Amino acid sequence: MPGLPQPSDKAARLIAGGASLVASSVLADAGIEHYRGSFENRAMVLPLAGSALSILTDTRLALGARASGGTGALAMSVHAANVAIGAAGLGFHVYNILKQPGGFTFGNVFYHAPIAAPAALMVAGTLGATALALGKGASRLGPVPLASGRSLAGFAAFALAGTSAEAAVFHFRGAYHNPFMWVPVVVPPIAALALGKAAVTGTVGRITNPALTATAVLGFAGAAFHAYGVSRNMGGWRNWRQNLIVGPPIPAPPSFTGIAIAGLGALLLMRRFARG
Amino acid sequence: MSAEAQAPRALNGQAPDVFTPGGWVPMREYGEEEVDFLIVGTGAGGGTLACKLAEAGFSVVAMDAGAYWRPLEDFASDEHEQGKLYWNDDRIVDGDNPLKLGANNSGKAVGGSTVHYMMVSLRFRPEWFKSRSKLGYGVDWPLDWREMWTYYREVEEALSISGPVTYPWGPKRPRYPYRAHPLNGPARYLVEGAEKLGIQWTETPIATLSAPRGKAHPCVYRGFCMAGCSTNAKQSALNTWLPRALSAGAEIRDLAMAGRIESREGRVTGVHYRREGEWRFQKAKNVVVAGYAVETPRLLLNSASPECPDGLANSSGLVGKNLMVHLNQSVFGRTQDDARFYKAPPSLAVSEHWNYEDAGKDYHGGWCYMPPGPLAASWARLVAGKGLWGQDLLDEMHRYNNAVGLKMVGEVLPYERNQVTLTDQADEYGLPVPRITFSYGENEQAMIRHALGFMDQALDVVGITDRWQNPDETAHLLGTARMGSDPATSVVDADCRSWDIPNLWICDGSVFPTSGGVNPSLTIQAIACRTGDRIAELARRGEL
Ligand SMILES: Cc1cc2nc3c(=O)[nH]c(=O)nc-3n(C[C@H](O)[C@H](O)[C@H](O)COP(=O)(O)OP(=O)(O)OC[C@H]3O[C@@H](n4cnc5c(N)ncnc54)[C@H](O)[C@@H]3O)c2cc1C
Ligand code: SF4
Repeated sequence: MPGLPQPSDKAARLIAGGASLVASSVLADAGIEHYRGSFENRAMVLPLAGSALSILTDTRLALGARASGGTGALAMSVHAANVAIGAAGLGFHVYNILKQPGGFTFGNVFYHAPIAAPAALMVAGTLGATALALGKGASRLGPVPLASGRSLAGFAAFALAGTSAEAAVFHFRGAYHNPFMWVPVVVPPIAALALGKAAVTGTVGRITNPALTATAVLGFAGAAFHAYGVSRNMGGWRNWRQNLIVGPPIPAPPSFTGIAIAGLGALLLMRRFARG
Repeated sequence: MSAEAQAPRALNGQAPDVFTPGGWVPMREYGEEEVDFLIVGTGAGGGTLACKLAEAGFSVVAMDAGAYWRPLEDFASDEHEQGKLYWNDDRIVDGDNPLKLGANNSGKAVGGSTVHYMMVSLRFRPEWFKSRSKLGYGVDWPLDWREMWTYYREVEEALSISGPVTYPWGPKRPRYPYRAHPLNGPARYLVEGAEKLGIQWTETPIATLSAPRGKAHPCVYRGFCMAGCSTNAKQSALNTWLPRALSAGAEIRDLAMAGRIESREGRVTGVHYRREGEWRFQKAKNVVVAGYAVETPRLLLNSASPECPDGLANSSGLVGKNLMVHLNQSVFGRTQDDARFYKAPPSLAVSEHWNYEDAGKDYHGGWCYMPPGPLAASWARLVAGKGLWGQDLLDEMHRYNNAVGLKMVGEVLPYERNQVTLTDQADEYGLPVPRITFSYGENEQAMIRHALGFMDQALDVVGITDRWQNPDETAHLLGTARMGSDPATSVVDADCRSWDIPNLWICDGSVFPTSGGVNPSLTIQAIACRTGDRIAELARRGEL
């Protein structure tokens, strides 16, 4: 691309792309949900700001920009901040649930601050930081070795499993009324298992790549299904201002795609490492 | 508008499609030819049975005095307009505690009272089916709770009931098909109060959707449930059983008022009914009466003949007797924050504690409690009834957002003196107006005292101030054609078949021998499902 420096590293770009997708999913989802919550607590803008900045830096990297010197340090602090904001959000969401009458009940988990959602921002931050480090040619992120790709594979596996667990909870809340609601509960865990095994053993099994690709596709398909879900509410899309909020969250499923793409990046690293 | 002035919609081989504005679905028509089953009333009992019988392959005509509405286009967010859903025909009430009839307890529409019911869908406590032998009061039902447990399940699935993941009381039950709804403001107060008092609570199993189902939308939590539900989230007979009945070949006749059942030589032969301004006769091999606990005995009594001078199916003398309601007294008060109790279906949380706990009671029977959510005009009527008027009433209405309350559903014992009889006065169809006589007994007074005291405490512990009691409200109508095991002390058997006339059946709230401390519609539908299965079984054995 003219004006941009040479691509630093294909894997780093892939991972940055994944991070950018996860951050976009957070921005849109938290945007809608926190708007619904009337930004009751001022801290509710933080994930929006953090994810927006993350999208900027990740996208630059994904497009092949070299991150070095001052911009690199700035970008790294954005990712660190996002991990921190995500962690704080996690705490807030758990607190929000526990303070409801009845405490930790299914009802409160279904209808109050979604427990696991802020973790997506932590995922975006971690993936962004990893991509940045790889882009700079670093072989470690802090104490974590990156070159073999195994740590990233393990992290992506964990993130996929967590996201799938979240889908399981919310699809249970929707009583799995549409059989397709089982797909994100079945496919990503297969990918997570395969990727997790690769992380542990250092060798990539045959189904890993197809399972990650399928997960990436279903993330986008999920957004389309959620758009259909929105249409099934009273007034359908004509009543979008209300139904975007009460219907299934359209921006949520693409975080599967983002994590799966980062997982594919990890596989690239692993193959390269294996070749020496 | 009087029923006489309206035009029927289910005609010419089609019936309104309740899921599409202006839409139609095909409907089989039987003309005046003799059908296997003619059902009078299409509510919780009749609508459900129409579906079961049509799906079992019988020819079925189900008629209703009410109109055939399409919720999406016919239901306005207007309490006054929606009065069109209530049975407001003339009725005379007396006794020590004359009942208020109409909006609060009887519907007139295809779909019956379920079109404007509050959707609370609770199962009976198992012991209530044997309350005489197990608990020492009332009478035993001829039904076994374990069998009822499977029919409850059938209804819960047919209505996609939204309910808690696990239910805190009674024997194990399968998970509700849909998840419970979020708690609204007043439900949160109920929960906090129950936790403070150390008793159990749960999200109410309720017949409104928490996720889409077919063409029906999920609930939008606006709270117009009692005025009919314009989204089809409410799972009524109108949008569950009746569409199934139609596609299985049943005919539904709206705005068709049954006036008299014809009988000869110990069998019924058909029904005289009024539609489009004229009296007609529908022949049937079997007649099912499902008009709810006032209209059912009224029709049976009005069908007296020289052979049956006291009315049909009345050799026991019990048709019209043992009328029961539910105690529906409430306590209201004021919150500091906005509770908006009119938002969302009312009653999203419930405590059945006093249905399952017998210790410490000085009365028989059980009761549960949940929060009510009166719409504005109903609330204004209620607070005006306290003697507020003028500026005081306006001030109270300004505090509408801060009102919350708790309401009991309490068991009333069967007394023969509480009854439905006929008067000499004639209504718009020329039929005798019914007289409804009702008085509480000692047992009811004791239960009301306990419940009001307890609910007052449950509001007090969560900081509700300015509490006041509404000691005078009832809900639901039951028991005027009870089922039993002995023809001398009951009107129908366990299959809802009348003891006296083998091809006359009664399938609605009238057949309850006791009332239990929960809202009745789930049990009425479960009984109708069982009756449908039993009729099919009897037909297979050639015993119809
Ligand atoms: C406001 C309100 C709220 C309620 N809330 C709940 C609740 O939350 N939970 C619950 O379980 N129950 C509730 N109920 C009670 C429940 O709706 C009734 O118990 C149930 O519908 C009764 O069923 P049924 O078949 O006996 O009679 P209905 O459902 O009333 O059906 C009887 C039908 O018969 C028709 N009919 C009567 N006589 C004739 C005739 N001669 N010719 C032709 N048609 C006739 C009527 O028009 C009516 O449509 C509520 C009721 C009301 C009114
Ligand atoms: S609150 Fe729900 S059930 Fe009640 S009328 Fe509205 S959509 Fe229907």
